[in-house]
Amino acid sequence: MSVGRDALREFWASKVSKMGVALLVLLVVVSVYVVLTYPLDFGLRYWNNPAYWADNPKAVPPEWWNLFTDKKLPPHVIKDFHEPSDVRDQRGRRILEYVYSFDFQYDEFPSFLSISLNNVTFSSRRPPRVEIFLDRPDNISVRLLRFTVTGPRPGEEAPYFRYVEAPNRVRITGDKNVFSALSAMLKKYYGLSIRPSEVGEIGAEKVAFGEPSGDGFKVLRGRYVLRAVVTGYDEDVDVGMLRMVVGGRVYGFSGTDTLGRDLAVGLLFGFPIALLIGFLTSTVTTIIGAITGVISGYMGGKVDTGIQRLSDIILNIPLLPILIFFTFVLGTEIPRLWVIIAILIAFSWPSLTIVVRPMVLQIRESQFVEAAVAIGAPRLWIMFRHIFPQVAPFVFAQLIFFTPSAILAEAALSFLGLGDPSMPTWGQILETGFRSGGVYIGYWWWVLPPGLLIVFAAITFVLIALGLEPVVNPRLRRMK
Amino acid sequence: MGVLRTIGIRALTLIGVVIAVLLMLVIVLGVTGLSDKMLKAIADQILMEIRQGLAREIKDPEALKAAIEQQRMEIYAAFGLDKPWYARIPDMVVRVMTFDLGYTRTIKSFTGSQRVADIIWERLPNTILLVTTAIAISAVLGLIIGVKVATRPGSRLDRVASYFSAISFALPTWWTGIIFIFVFAFYFRLFPFGGMYSAPPPEEPLARFLDLLWHAALPVTTLVVALVGSWIYVTRTIVLNTAQEDFVAAARAKGLPESVVRRRYIIRVAAPPILTNIVLGLAGSIGGAIITETVFQWPGMGSLYYQAIFSLEENLIIALTFIFTVVYVAARFILEILYIVLDPRVRY
Repeated sequence: MSVGRDALREFWASKVSKMGVALLVLLVVVSVYVVLTYPLDFGLRYWNNPAYWADNPKAVPPEWWNLFTDKKLPPHVIKDFHEPSDVRDQRGRRILEYVYSFDFQYDEFPSFLSISLNNVTFSSRRPPRVEIFLDRPDNISVRLLRFTVTGPRPGEEAPYFRYVEAPNRVRITGDKNVFSALSAMLKKYYGLSIRPSEVGEIGAEKVAFGEPSGDGFKVLRGRYVLRAVVTGYDEDVDVGMLRMVVGGRVYGFSGTDTLGRDLAVGLLFGFPIALLIGFLTSTVTTIIGAITGVISGYMGGKVDTGIQRLSDIILNIPLLPILIFFTFVLGTEIPRLWVIIAILIAFSWPSLTIVVRPMVLQIRESQFVEAAVAIGAPRLWIMFRHIFPQVAPFVFAQLIFFTPSAILAEAALSFLGLGDPSMPTWGQILETGFRSGGVYIGYWWWVLPPGLLIVFAAITFVLIALGLEPVVNPRLRRMK
Repeated sequence: MGVLRTIGIRALTLIGVVIAVLLMLVIVLGVTGLSDKMLKAIADQILMEIRQGLAREIKDPEALKAAIEQQRMEIYAAFGLDKPWYARIPDMVVRVMTFDLGYTRTIKSFTGSQRVADIIWERLPNTILLVTTAIAISAVLGLIIGVKVATRPGSRLDRVASYFSAISFALPTWWTGIIFIFVFAFYFRLFPFGGMYSAPPPEEPLARFLDLLWHAALPVTTLVVALVGSWIYVTRTIVLNTAQEDFVAAARAKGLPESVVRRRYIIRVAAPPILTNIVLGLAGSIGGAIITETVFQWPGMGSLYYQAIFSLEENLIIALTFIFTVVYVAARFILEILYIVLDPRVRY
């Protein structure tokens, strides 16, 4: 036992190991948090479901980017109303009014405007009408859009429920009627004749939040009021939730990709997956490697020759091409993550076998093994009671050393487009960023963080392995 | 004789590796039914040409149908499609070895050919150029820095080199490449984003060579950053270990100058194990090359992999997996010979 404690002290003495352990604790804590809070089918249900991210701005940098730029970029604002701001009855109609007033003092236009309605209930045959108004700082008020909720179908009984399963989402800045409204506004207040289709080309958000200046539009700063007015023809009219979104030019902690996915969420999900791949692969690999090494060294003879030949051949096969081949061919039937892990294990264990074997050869000659043989201990007993404990520290160090290479291999495959599509990994996020040309347009927030995290995870294990090395290899220790 | 015998044994092992990989590829293809699919595609292409000829000669639709069916049976039999996959193993092995895997669906060679073999042969030199340059540069740098560091263990230089090799090990190659693109191509506009030559390439040989250098700078540096860390680390560890041997102490005790001790007693002895470790790292450089090529769109076999995966060209992927194994085994064989030259002990 004291040997173990000494080794531990020796390990803990170096700064490198302390740093490695600290990083590992961080990795594990984040992973545990993710496993506890994320649904297991996160990849399929949310990450790869564009509808879930529809209300997010596309390909915008993180919010803290504002600290580094001269231009002040508007943040993303989502305003949810569970109750209307004002309810009034007018000539037998019930009017629900939702008002969002905000001060817009930024150097860029919002990326879009949208409104969604959830759980609309009414009981008159005439369905409620929805109108969206924008009051601008220059006292111009525009009715951007008017539409009616889907009316009752023949034979349907009141009360009528609408937009229960999926919200009715209207992207205001992409709507043709809005273009017309804005075109009319420009004509009336600025004397400009710009056709609705041209408003669409300029960008409705620029017209709505700007004023003509020179050839284009510049941001009109000041207080805006976005109003949604729902006019019902009965007293039961109700809107479960109304959401207004003023699309930002920056978003959250890590920005978004071109589908509007919150990168922070995907990157967090990568933590437990990286750890799973790393630990599972390295553990099984070292177990197989250690067992074959011990058997090969202790048994000798034909078994030894067989294992050595097999190891020799496997070690001479370049790993990445084989991984690509197997993942490509088998990945359609079996989840790719498992194919990757299995192939990594199948082609990595011999590198441990060939280093454990000579150690075992040496231990086999020692007196305590001879003593065990003399008292008639069975071979299996000797191998696992007497020989294995001698090589165990070395094997453990190898386990740590192996972990980053498994993480890196998965990332490399994901980067080549062979990642498991059912869950996001760091390599896959990097790959989508690279494939959609993020590098050439300068989407640094999309391409740099996943790589940084892969490096971070790999460095963690490299540091621990470096700290373990003088413990396992005493010769290096003497040099200090 | 002894040298030849040793080389012969190594050659046999490496040939064994190639055969093992070949068999593995063919068996996996057979079990998953992919080999059937590929052979059928080739056979159907031939059948289509025959059908056009037959249609001109035979006018009766019934007779034409029968004749085509007859031809189809014959061609399928010629390709062994009437037999189960395991009966076709020898035939498939030969096919993979000669890249006789039919035609691609969309990917074309630079000259416009869609034959798998044409596409591969055209790109092989580009990959070899990139990888050998990078390996040569990292070998020279790694040996110089590694030995230098090992002579002053614990110094600041030593610590910097240790940290650097740890980072170099953990840095995924493609990410380094992406950062380089960001900094040197996107931000400073010093180097091109990728490719091998400007479009159109310069006519004059010197200008063409300089253009190639300009395009190769970033990918080669990326690979060197990925590879040099392990060279430094391995060199340092082995030189440090050798420096503690008794015969080194004895040489110093004899009063030999430090430079002689280092050159003849330490480095000469440390060289073979360093080489062994480098040989083991060769597979890593192949992997790094595949990804570096992809990032920089270097028109080699690695970026071809990426395109083949994207457009689901299974015959290209098989051919590439095989050729990468062959390239690796060949490189390994050259290093083995070098090893025999360096270490007289293994000759006999």
